[in-house]
Amino acid sequence: MAARRGDERAWIRGAQQGSVSDLEALFRHHWPKAYRAAYLVVHDSGAAEDIAQEAFLAAVRGLDRFDRRRPFGPWLHRIVVNRAIDWSRARALRRESGNAALELVAAPAAPDNPHAQTLAAALAGLSPEHRAVIVLRHLLEYTPGEIAEVLGLPRGTVNSRLRRGLDELAARFGEELE
Amino acid sequence: MRWNEPAPGEHEAGDRSWEVVSAAFEERLPAQRRRDWRPFVLAAAIAAVIAAALSPPGHAVFGSLRDAVRGERNARPALFSLPSPHSRLLVNSAEGAWVIQSDGSKRLLDGYREASWSPHGLYLAAIHGDELRALEPNGDVHWSIGRPGLAGPTWSNEGTGDERVAYLAGSTLRVIGGDGRGDRLLARNVAHVVPAWRRGAHVLAYVDGAGRVVVRDADTGAVQWRSVAQQPPQALEWSGDGHYLLARGPSSITVFGDRGKQRLTPLGPGAAPVADAAFMPSSSALAFVQRAPGRSILWFYSQLRPEGTAARRVFAGAGTFDRVAWSPEGRWLVLSWPSADQWLFIRSASVRKVIPVSGIEDAFGPAAIPAGWCCP
Repeated sequence: MAARRGDERAWIRGAQQGSVSDLEALFRHHWPKAYRAAYLVVHDSGAAEDIAQEAFLAAVRGLDRFDRRRPFGPWLHRIVVNRAIDWSRARALRRESGNAALELVAAPAAPDNPHAQTLAAALAGLSPEHRAVIVLRHLLEYTPGEIAEVLGLPRGTVNSRLRRGLDELAARFGEELE
Repeated sequence: MRWNEPAPGEHEAGDRSWEVVSAAFEERLPAQRRRDWRPFVLAAAIAAVIAAALSPPGHAVFGSLRDAVRGERNARPALFSLPSPHSRLLVNSAEGAWVIQSDGSKRLLDGYREASWSPHGLYLAAIHGDELRALEPNGDVHWSIGRPGLAGPTWSNEGTGDERVAYLAGSTLRVIGGDGRGDRLLARNVAHVVPAWRRGAHVLAYVDGAGRVVVRDADTGAVQWRSVAQQPPQALEWSGDGHYLLARGPSSITVFGDRGKQRLTPLGPGAAPVADAAFMPSSSALAFVQRAPGRSILWFYSQLRPEGTAARRVFAGAGTFDRVAWSPEGRWLVLSWPSADQWLFIRSASVRKVIPVSGIEDAFGPAAIPAGWCCP
């Protein structure tokens, strides 16, 4: 769904003035990529929903302070991707500590579309940090410089993670397609 | 690689999240008047401490807290859909049994009572007048049998096709094949408590006339074990893995393990009344409802331990909660709150989301309770 920059500014202005329909336009425009980015990092549809939803709730809370001259997407994606990385790290820690009680409440979703079967499956073999830079680059189409800003990393680190992640991804896809 | 394909659940999650985000947005508007919330925060903190002090001894209460007075705000005016996709909810009410599909469409099976699901949700066992009937969710009756004093029909849940239906007829416990054949008496002088099948076996737990829990092979009639709970049970339920049997007393929970040799008492008879309890599917985690004067609380035991079990408070509200049920995959709880005329769909025991639905009595008639969320 393409939207002009002017549309987005108008939606933010309208939402700041209390318009639910403008907020909904902003939400519907940004939801797919926010959710998809979270999903591709965490590989859990419930967690992805929570992460993307919490990012939008943060947007609602901060709406009055938001500078309309700045694009909304990078601001939202910064929250989504960083929370997704945190969630993945926390899950890994829980697994290491064997806390079965925490695992009980998050049943994994059954894979039911190509994301789950191919792309997401291949990404699952990477670390959350590598997944995040690849998702930012190829799903959200940020430049390495922008990714460095979003994640608060040196640009060289972003480049090396991208290169290593894509190499691993290519190897995994190759294996699966054979 | 197809980066622009929707991820699993993307659209449904978007619809659900929009409701949450728009509700937060609408709540935010009056807050712009910069009201000073500090006195209310202090009062809430004091209330939480008092609640902790009044709660049953030995139980943690500082979990995820959500208190409400007359039902949750921003409730949906009706049940438009179930949060768990591809599931169906069975509701028993004074009008009959309702089958609700995940898209919110529903069908009344008029005049039926005490309906329960077969293992895969293909059939229901329910009582109509003096008949026990096996019927499809669309109302087509497959077989029926007449008996006086019918109550508590329950399908065995092995899911192999060789099922049984247990039911009470007066003070007797009877078992009939899932195809309507082979009806026979299993026990006399039983208590009026719905029997419970252990998953994957024709093994049935029931309460005898002396208030003891009896576990019996329904095919051979052999008693496997008997035991006594803290109080005469009002309800029985097996955990999904078949390892534990829960006996809910008026104000106690007893859990039997290891074929009755192990007895856990996570909640003793001195506690506030226990209205309902339900094992999380495929685990021994447990949700239960307690009623205190003027308020009710939904609790969660993530693990049962012989040395004692700490409960986490999931939700508390004014008035009366009565039933709690898990979604088939264990991701959601539905809690009925008749005094607020609401049901709450609670995303996991850590309360990651609450979807309140009001207008329950208008939709389903008086005394509507969720009787089973189907199917794994």
